[in-house]
Amino acid sequence: MFVSDVFELAIKALLDRKMRSALTIVGIMIGAAIIVALIASSNGLSAGISASMGKIGANTLVVNSAMNFVTGGSQSQYKLSQDDVRILGAISGVTKVIPYYNKMVTITVGGTAIQGEIEGIDLTQLPELYKGIGLSDGAYPSQYDPTAAAIGSDIASPTGSTVQIGVNQMVSVTLSGGTGNLAFLVKGILVPYGRVLFSNIDDTIFIGMQAAQLLLKTPYYSGFYVLTATADDVASVQAAIESQYGSNVRVMNAGSIVSSVESVSSQMTVFLGAIGGVSLFVAAVGITNTMFVSVVERTREIGVLKALGYQSGQILSVFLSEAVVTGAIGGVLGTILGYFLSFLIGGIMPMGGGPMSSGASTEPVFTADLILFALLFPIAVAVLAGLYPARRASRMNAIVALKYE
Amino acid sequence: MIHTACVHRRELSKDLRSILKNSLIVHSIMADGQGHIKMNLVGAPVGMLEVTKVYSAGHVDYPAFRGVTLKIERGELTSIIGPSGSGKSTLLNINGVLDRSTSGRVKTDGIDLRESDDQLARIRNGKIGFIYQSFNLIKPLTAVENVEMPLIARKIPRNLRRDRATKLLSAVGLAQKAHKRPTELSGGEQQRVAVARALVTKPAIVIADEPTGNLDSKTTRELLNYITEVNRTMGTTFVIVTHNPEVSERTHRVITIRDGMIEKEQRLQRIDSFAK
Repeated sequence: MFVSDVFELAIKALLDRKMRSALTIVGIMIGAAIIVALIASSNGLSAGISASMGKIGANTLVVNSAMNFVTGGSQSQYKLSQDDVRILGAISGVTKVIPYYNKMVTITVGGTAIQGEIEGIDLTQLPELYKGIGLSDGAYPSQYDPTAAAIGSDIASPTGSTVQIGVNQMVSVTLSGGTGNLAFLVKGILVPYGRVLFSNIDDTIFIGMQAAQLLLKTPYYSGFYVLTATADDVASVQAAIESQYGSNVRVMNAGSIVSSVESVSSQMTVFLGAIGGVSLFVAAVGITNTMFVSVVERTREIGVLKALGYQSGQILSVFLSEAVVTGAIGGVLGTILGYFLSFLIGGIMPMGGGPMSSGASTEPVFTADLILFALLFPIAVAVLAGLYPARRASRMNAIVALKYE
Repeated sequence: MIHTACVHRRELSKDLRSILKNSLIVHSIMADGQGHIKMNLVGAPVGMLEVTKVYSAGHVDYPAFRGVTLKIERGELTSIIGPSGSGKSTLLNINGVLDRSTSGRVKTDGIDLRESDDQLARIRNGKIGFIYQSFNLIKPLTAVENVEMPLIARKIPRNLRRDRATKLLSAVGLAQKAHKRPTELSGGEQQRVAVARALVTKPAIVIADEPTGNLDSKTTRELLNYITEVNRTMGTTFVIVTHNPEVSERTHRVITIRDGMIEKEQRLQRIDSFAK
C-alpha cells in the first residue's frame, strides 16, 4: 500500500464516525493546549523576570532590611541609616552606596487608579543605576522638594485612559493602607523603561531622597544599591555584607535573582508540563478506548480486508494511522488553543502578592522546541495508545471476523 | 501454470505417486528414449487431497472435514450444495486460502498452501475473488472505491486502479452509480459492486458464498447471467456455495457435501464452453 492510501483510508474511516472522532480529538487537543499554554506562560514569566533583571548592572547588589516578600514590609527590626552607608562603603570592592526609600502607593490619575510606588533616591544617580533611563519631558525635581516629582511614563498616560499628565500638572497619591494622601507637581516625565527587579519604573514616582525623608517623616532607608568595581567583586562583597549583618538584611544581586527565578520557573514548567502530561494520558486512554470500540465494530470490515488480501501489517498501519491522524489534528488544534490560552494564564500566574506580583503579568514565550513538542508529542501518544487495538485488528482471524454480526 | 518434472523410469513407480500428489493433474507424459519420462503437470485452480479440518473449541474437537479429495478444473463453474453444518463453508474457506487444513494437501492455482500468512494474503489478493451473501462492502467507501480496494493492497497507482475499477463497474452496469455509497444502492446493485470487486484483480478463482441469498429472483437471474458470461469469456473458475437450485442448475458440476464428506458429484455441462 502507498502511504497516501493508508492515510486516505484512515481519514475516511474517521469521517465515517465524525462525532466520535471529534470527541477523541478534543481530548488530545485539551492535553496539548494545556501543555502549550502552561509552558509558554511559564517561559514568558521567567523571560520577563530575566529581562527586568538584565537592566540593572551585573555589578549591582541590592541590600534591604530583610524585606518580606508577601507583605512588602520589613521582617527585621534592624533600621538602615546613614551609618550603614559608611559601613557598606568601607567594604573592599564597593565603589558606591546609593540609599533609597520606597513605598507602595495607589496613584490616581484622572479617575484611573494605578498600583505603583514612590521611590526616594538621589536622582542624579538614576542614569548610573538604570541603564538608558532619561526624561522625555521636563527636568528632574529638586532633591529637597517634597511636592515635586518625576513620574513614570504609565502614570503620565495610563493605559486604558485618555487622560494625559503633563509637566506642571498634579498627581495625587494614596499611601497603602489608607494612611494618608499626598500630591505632587510633575516636573519631569521619564521615558518608558519597563521593569527593574521587582519594580516597574513606568509606575513609579521618583522624588529626591531628602524630600522622601521629609515627606515620610523617617530618617531611615528602605535599602541600598551597592555598586562594585566589577561584576567579579559581587560575590565577595555579598559575602562580606552577609557576614557583617547576618540575617538583619537581605542581599540580592541581579545574577542570583535571575538564577533563583529561573530555577523556580523551571520547576514550575516541569510541574505544569506534568499536568498537561496527565491530561494527555487521559486523552490517550480515550484513544485506546475509541479504537477498541472501532475495531470491534469494524470486525467484519477487517475480515473483508483480510479476504481481499490485505496483510496483517497493512491492516495494522491503516488502524494505526487513524490514531496518527487523531493525534496530529489534536496536536495542531491544541497548539492553537494553547496559544490563546497562554495569554489568559499569563494574567493569573500564581506568583503571589507583594513586590513579586508586579513581575507576574508577562507575555507568554513560544519557542520552536515547544511548538514542535506540542505538535509531535500528541502523535507519539496517539500511536502508543492505538498500537494495541490496531494490533488486535491486524491479528484477527479472517473467518471469525467475516462471520461477525 | 504448467510445471515440468523429469523422473527416471526405474524411479517412476515410487515418484509418480508423490508427483501426482503434489501436482494433482498430469497434463501429458512423454518418454525421451533415455529412460526418462517427462510429465507436464498442470496446477489445477483447486486441488484437495485427503483434506481434513478439525475445529477445536475448548477441549472438544469438531471434525468439519473428514478426508475430502476434490479437483476443480480451470474454467469450471462448480456449485456446492449441502445442508447447514455439512462443511460447505469450510470447503470455501480452505479453497479461498482463508483457512488452513488440519491435514492433507491443498493447492490453489498450483500453489502449495503451506506458506506464511502474508504469502497467503498475497495469494488471496492475486488469485482469488470473494463474493458474499451479505455483499460485505466497506460502508464509508463509494462503489468505485470499494472495487479499488484489492488493487490498493498491491500498490497499483491511483489513476490505473481507478480506470480498472471504473471499467468493471461499467461491465456490471453500474457506471452511473460509481460514486454512490453502499447504503445508497439496492441489494442487487451492492452485489454487482461486490462482483466487480471480486473480478478486478483478474483472479483465477472466484469463491462465492450464497451470492444470491439476499437477492430476489430477477436479480438472481441477472447475477447468474453475468457470472456465466464471465466464466465463458474469461475462463474464470467459480466455486459457488448455494442453497438455490436455480443457481446450481446453471453450473457445470454440482458437488453435494454431507457430514464433512463429498456425498455426490453430478456433472451437468461440459467445461469446454469457454474460450481458452
